[in-house]
Amino acid sequence: MEKIIEILFNGLSMGAIYALMALGFVLIFKSTGVINFAQGELAMVGAFICYSFATMMNVPYIYAFFIALIGGIILGAVVYQVFFRTMVGEPLFSTIMVTVGLASILTCLAGLIWGHDVYSLNSPFTDKVIHLDKITFAQGSISTIIVSVVLFVIVILFFNRSLLGISMRGSAEDPDTAGLMGINVKKIHMVAWALGGLVAAVAGMFLAEQSFVRLSMSHVGIKAMAAAILGGMESISGAILGGIIIGVVEGLAANYLSGMELGNFHMGDIKDVAAFVIMIIVLMIRPYGIFGKEKVERV
Amino acid sequence: MANFKISYREDTALFQNLWVKSWLGIFIAAMIVLPFLLSRYQLSILNGMGIAVIGALGLNLLIGYTGQISLGHGAFVAIGAYTTGLLAGTLGVPFIVALPVSGTTAALLSLIVGVPSLRLKGLYLALGTLAFGFIIEYVLFHWDLTRGDTGMAVPKIGAGGFFIETELQFFYLIMFFAALATLVAKNLARTKIGRSFVAIRDRDIAAEAMGISLSKYKIMAFAVSAFYAGVAGCLLAYYQKWIVPGNFDISLSIAYIAMIVLGGMGTILGSILGAILITGIPYGIVYLTDALRGTYPNLSGLIVDLKLGIFGLVIVLTLLFEPQGLVGIYRRIKVYWKTWPFKY
Repeated sequence: MEKIIEILFNGLSMGAIYALMALGFVLIFKSTGVINFAQGELAMVGAFICYSFATMMNVPYIYAFFIALIGGIILGAVVYQVFFRTMVGEPLFSTIMVTVGLASILTCLAGLIWGHDVYSLNSPFTDKVIHLDKITFAQGSISTIIVSVVLFVIVILFFNRSLLGISMRGSAEDPDTAGLMGINVKKIHMVAWALGGLVAAVAGMFLAEQSFVRLSMSHVGIKAMAAAILGGMESISGAILGGIIIGVVEGLAANYLSGMELGNFHMGDIKDVAAFVIMIIVLMIRPYGIFGKEKVERV
Repeated sequence: MANFKISYREDTALFQNLWVKSWLGIFIAAMIVLPFLLSRYQLSILNGMGIAVIGALGLNLLIGYTGQISLGHGAFVAIGAYTTGLLAGTLGVPFIVALPVSGTTAALLSLIVGVPSLRLKGLYLALGTLAFGFIIEYVLFHWDLTRGDTGMAVPKIGAGGFFIETELQFFYLIMFFAALATLVAKNLARTKIGRSFVAIRDRDIAAEAMGISLSKYKIMAFAVSAFYAGVAGCLLAYYQKWIVPGNFDISLSIAYIAMIVLGGMGTILGSILGAILITGIPYGIVYLTDALRGTYPNLSGLIVDLKLGIFGLVIVLTLLFEPQGLVGIYRRIKVYWKTWPFKY
């Protein structure tokens, strides 16, 4: 019983990270129609910025955290300005491929700057645990969940209450009409990318805290895409739910399936593909996700 | 030069005029003579390019002609290579059987993503194929049959006392299949099938309304494309003599996409140009940085890092500034000289 609670709890904190990443996808996709394959790379860069300041330069963690946040915002905005400002109205393949290319470029640059080694990020929560009646909770996981929940609430309020959020929803629905209503659509798109960069940086830092800072952590971006698909690409609550489901399933798979052997097939690190299996199943059964609406195409 | 056609035969000819035919003749003659003038290293580069041409042609039929995005093409190359590895390495099947079987296996497994593609479009298909690529890589790592990280040995091609083992022999073998693949692709693109592919790419609903069976042609596009990839994988396996799952990860898929984007989507010539350039770029960098190696000894290590970044940069810059790729540039230059000195 204690074990399953621990698994669920760790899955939940991993799920919060996936949900944050998925939230980044949804934010960008909802308002600009671009699906950002470089989201994981944005997270990786955020984590590396935090690592550079917190561990290499001994800046207090909380300052490094906020520096990385600002770095994420700037990176997102720069990516939009350089690559996507002129891509409006281009076919889907082009926008997807630009983000895929961008992902390779970011990985390459990060490799040049920080190298291919594995680093660990020292945060105030590292290796600290709370014992609660035989069950161990890592403080890092608790802080991840708390901060994620706060962020989700802020984002949902932002979209439903603030003028900027509502104009973002408007320009997502119909950029032309939104432009006629006096909304600066280009600015909205830039804000969406900046926000995407921000949540990616947050997710990257939490992920780094739970494991390590390294180039391959950008894979989490593609797993988070599975979360976004599961929840429905256009729904914020879907991204949250999808992330949590993927995180918990991964945790369960890692604990119960990893050691298994089927004939001459070793399950090994099944955790790493669980998200992809879920993604393929969802795509086959319900491509528009749990909260998504089936799209009817107009001829 | 005017290009009038006075019979249907001329209109449907694969090589339209004497100009094209003579260039083709010169090209073939060059391909036969050239290898004797080149070093082994240069030949190995050309061999890599030849294999890439086959894969890129297949991917272009899928993405460029049919408009179905695949981000997991490396997986089909892997399936072809590992089928060859299992057949030739474990069972001792000869090359002539292993090649078509590798292609067919890849084509059959492509149905796993091909059938969902009937419901999925654009973005969702891209994600599905990406996931498929990761799952195949995972399976290769964890299945005893494929021996995971240690990889598999692939025997030489040959029968009796004759073996294909030198770069020169491989050159002719690979170029034969690359030429065959080009011919098949070029013909396929002109037939009913090819035109149906293009119709589906341009507007699938309209294509369906005109009586093109979407499911049939979408699945066909996937199967043909995967067959090409499987053949490329088979040749790659024989050529490399040793295969490990790491050869076929996401970066291979990205390299293939970079090829067709750079070359020009929806064109045969573009796939060939793109495959040659993208395969050549890393060697070009090595060549350029060779002179600097004395002063910066750790530069050669950086090239591996740079490779993927450069492919990414190529994709992004091409899409931003020349979405039609090299073929687009070629067409513009051709039109410019045709009407020179007038604007049009």
